[in-house]
Order: sequence, then structure tokens, then C-alpha cells
Amino acid sequence: MAGQFEIVGMRETAQVEPEQKKKWYEGKPVVSIAVLVLIVTGCLACSLITTKDPSYLDLKNYNVPPNQEFLFGTDTMGRDIFSMVWYGGRISLFIGIVSMVISTVIAVIYGTVSACAPAWADHLLMRFTEIFLSVPGLLLVIFLQAALGEANVLSLSFVIGITGWMSISKVIRTEVRRLRNSEYVIASRCMGGSFFHILWRHLAPNFVSPVMFMVVMNVRSAIVAESTLSFMGIGLPVEVISWGSMLSLAEKALLSNSWWMILIPGAFLVVTLLCITNLGNYLRRNVNRQERNL
Amino acid sequence: MRHKIIYVILSIFLLSVMVFYMARLAPGDPLASYYGDRAEKMSPKERKWAEDKLGLNDPVTVQYVRWLDRAFHGDFGISYKYKMDVMEVIRERMGNTLLLGGIGFFLTFGLSLLLGVLCTWHEDRMLDRVICKVGTVTSCIPEFWLSLVLILIFAVNLKWLPSSGAYTIGKEDDTADRIWHLILPMTVVVLGHLWYYAYMVRNKLLEEVRADYVLLARVKGIGKRSIMFRHCLRNILPSYLSIMAVSVPHILGGTYIVEMVFSYPGLGTLSYESARYQDYNLLMVLCLMSGSLVILCNMAAQAISEKIDPGITHTE
Repeated sequence: MAGQFEIVGMRETAQVEPEQKKKWYEGKPVVSIAVLVLIVTGCLACSLITTKDPSYLDLKNYNVPPNQEFLFGTDTMGRDIFSMVWYGGRISLFIGIVSMVISTVIAVIYGTVSACAPAWADHLLMRFTEIFLSVPGLLLVIFLQAALGEANVLSLSFVIGITGWMSISKVIRTEVRRLRNSEYVIASRCMGGSFFHILWRHLAPNFVSPVMFMVVMNVRSAIVAESTLSFMGIGLPVEVISWGSMLSLAEKALLSNSWWMILIPGAFLVVTLLCITNLGNYLRRNVNRQERNL
Repeated sequence: MRHKIIYVILSIFLLSVMVFYMARLAPGDPLASYYGDRAEKMSPKERKWAEDKLGLNDPVTVQYVRWLDRAFHGDFGISYKYKMDVMEVIRERMGNTLLLGGIGFFLTFGLSLLLGVLCTWHEDRMLDRVICKVGTVTSCIPEFWLSLVLILIFAVNLKWLPSSGAYTIGKEDDTADRIWHLILPMTVVVLGHLWYYAYMVRNKLLEEVRADYVLLARVKGIGKRSIMFRHCLRNILPSYLSIMAVSVPHILGGTYIVEMVFSYPGLGTLSYESARYQDYNLLMVLCLMSGSLVILCNMAAQAISEKIDPGITHTE
């Protein structure tokens, strides 16, 4: 009798743990970060890697295609493009970062104030950003630049910075409105926490992640704005070397068909922007993805 | 409804005040755009006479009220540079911009929908990845540089396409010639924006494809293609429409830069010139036009999204 039946239950199965451990670099934009680091260090250490003075006008060798001496050729004014690319990158990146900081600070303060203000003021402030957004950004920059006089690196970053905060401040406002009635904020306010204290200690840590992506993208759009403005001749003058002002000689380069003057600085610009974008996308990426039903 | 109309009027009014004051406070000599080089050689007396004639000596507020009064009667003044009625100057250029921006807009609209569907269909497979990578790269290329590279390749080296202008001189009415000149700028306008919207469609569709009703439809035995086009696409279309409404000014702004690089005679080059050379009357009208367009498009987008989901109210 005993051998006839067997008690059935859950069959023992060996639990196979998936062995493949995630490598540290998987899913992270390693290549982009590496290239970005390379470009940034190259720009910071530009005096070490370059052999020539980027602003020296070598009138004997102007418009020379890339060769042994001039790795990337020279421009129509006889300047060595290889050195200019690194020196120019320093200024372009600097403008990108400074104007990002300016926009972010304005956006954080404006967004928080708007979210904490009474409904009518909030409404008014948000309408104001909408009106601001409706003036074509480029025109705004042209105006401000004209008002500040001859452009230099700081004034240009300032102008780009104060025209680029609107969309970030909208996101911050939404986030803060969601948070402002949380217990810990009310508690902090009851204990006499000042506006900046609450903003910094309680609100900011909560909206850092949704805003991070926009902040990184802001660096990107600031660099694009700088290069576009300098290219059109209303940003940095030709003597101040940046990736944009290097491209402002493009019209002459087109006439003489000197591709190196257009392609090389532009390639640096695009690669940098691409790395920044990948970084931004990584920050935004949704980790838990659902299985699709289709 | 009444609130909305009041809001539109108020916004346009505020915009006009802002532009008016900013333009006048910015340094620069509007006489230079009216009289050209002669402005520099004028004696103080002549200068004063000229400024009086153009009404530039009054306080800015007085000037503004006068401008507003005339504007209500349909008179927006004359352009200092072209010495013509502002509306005339704009009318000449408007068609060109509408052609570039309008066709560019619809191409972007259609192509991004197509790309989005294609990516969703092949999610995480080769095609999707390739499109995504190419898209990310193109979205990083500044419009002016893309234009330069295209000019370098197709106009300077291959000599296939013209590098600037809207038509060959003397062939203003030749449609083929105009299209010929439109190809390069149009490519830049479309490529510059395409990816952003395609990515949006892709995201929305990927979300949609994970909805429960899709599973049900599959269980009922409805084909994939029909689910995708009959149900998923239809569901995202309204929100996509509202995004496109918001994007009108975005694309318009894109055409401005492209117009400048290609020296295409449109509103973009005109705005740039008028801001640069203090052509106040022209600048005002151009800013108001683009500003109103932005405001109206935002309203349209809101209206669409409220129609889709009556729960959304934009007062919050």
C-alpha cells in the first residue's frame, strides 16, 4: 500500500539564479562621458596640447588645408584651427555652463515663488512666462545684446541665461505645487524656516531629479545659442575665439570651398552636444519598463 | 470663452508694450536705417528736424500711445529702411515664409508620425535602434551648421542646388525654380525638428501599446496592424495635434535661422534686419505677428486637450 501512492506536492526545482551580473558600465553612457571628459580636459589644458598661438595671424599661411604643420589647417585670417578648436571650446563650454547656472537659479527662485504665492499672483507670474516665451528667443537676445553693448563672454552668457529659464521654471512650479502642502514643509514653516531654507533643504531635493534633465539640456541649448549668435555676427566678435565665432568665417570659407573651416569646429560642436544629450537622456530614462501587449 | 478672449487681447497688449519699450531703450540709431550713411554726416539741426519728423523726440509713452492710436486705425507706420508701408513690406515676404514654414510644418508632422509608428512597430529591434541613434545625432546638429554643410556639399561641391535666395532673378513666377530653391532650406527645417516630434510619437505609442485594451483586442484576434492604426494611432492623434499646435511657433523660429543662412527673403531675415537696425515700426508688427501666433497656437492646443480630456482645466 505504501509504495503504491506517492504524496504529490510542489516538485523541487533547482532555482536557477540568472548568473549574469550587470556590469558597472551597462546602461550608462560611458562613451559619451569619456568623450566629454576628453574634450573638457583638452579644452582646459589647451595650452599644453597646442603648439601655436590661436590668435596669431599667420599671414603667409592663410586658408591652408590640413597638413603636418597645421593639423586642422588655417582659417582665412591665418590662424591655426587646431589650437583655436581647443581654446574656443573653453569659451563655448564656459558660456554653456555659466548661462545654465544663471537660468537655473532664476528658474528655481521664480518657480518656487510662483508656486508658493497666492493663486492670483501665481496666475499672473505664469502668464508672464508665457508672454516671455512668445517673444521669439532670438529677437530677445538681439535686443538685450544691443542694450548691453559690445558682446563679451560674460554679457553673452548673461543674455542667454536670462532668456532660457522659462520652461524649467514651469516644471519647478508644478513640482513645488505638488510638494508645498506636505507635512514636512508645513512643519518647517511652523518652526520658522525661512523661504530659502525650505527651498534648499526640503523642496530642492525633491525636484532635483525631474529638473536635472532639463538643466543638462539647458547647457546644450546655451551652447547652440552662443554658436548661432556668434555665427550670425551678433554674438562674440571674431577675435574672441569660440566654436561659434570660428564658424562666423563660414561665408568666406564657402566661397573658397575650404571645408576644414566649417566641418572641423562644427564637428567638435556636434560631438559635444551629442555627449551632453546622451547624458541628459540617461538622467531621464525610465528604469522600470512594462511589457508591451501588442 | 470670454476669459480667453480677454486673455489673448491682454497678452498681445502686454507684448506690444514690452517690445515697444525694449526697442526704444536699446541703443542704436534709427535714423541710420532711414537715411543710411547720410545720418552720420547730419548737423545737429538736421538731426533734430529728422527726429521730429519721425516723432522720435517725444517721451516713449507718448510715442506708444500715438502708435496704438494709429494701429487701431490700421496704420502701422512706414518701414524706415524700405520707406514703404510696413504691411506692404511684410506682404511681399510673407508668402515666402509661409511656403517654407507651412510645407516644412506639414512634412515634419507627417514624417514624424510615420517614423514614430515605424519605431514602435520594430521596438528594440535593429530598425528602431538605428532610427533612434540617427535621430539623436540629427537633433544635436545646430540648424545653421547643418545648412552650412548642406550648402558646402550640394551647392559648392556638387553644384546641384542653389545656395541662396528664393528664386533665380527674372524667374519669379517659375514654380519649378522656386521648388528648386526650396529644397535645401526645407531639408534643414524638417531635419531640425523631425526627430523631436518623432520621438514624442514613439513615446506616446509605446505607452499606448502597453494598454489593456490592446491585449483584449489581440485576444479577440484582431490583427496587429489594425490595432496599431485603428486604435493606438487614433488614440494618440488628438494629443499629438495639440503638441503640433504648440510647435507652430517653434518651427517658425527654426525657419528664421534657416532663412538667414540661405538669405531667403522671408520674415526671418526681415525680423533680424529690423531688430538690428532699429526699424521700429516694422519690428513692432513682426513681433506682434509672431507673438499672436504663439498665443493663438497655445490657445488652440489648450482647447484641443480640453476637448480630449474634459477633466483637464488650465486654471490650475
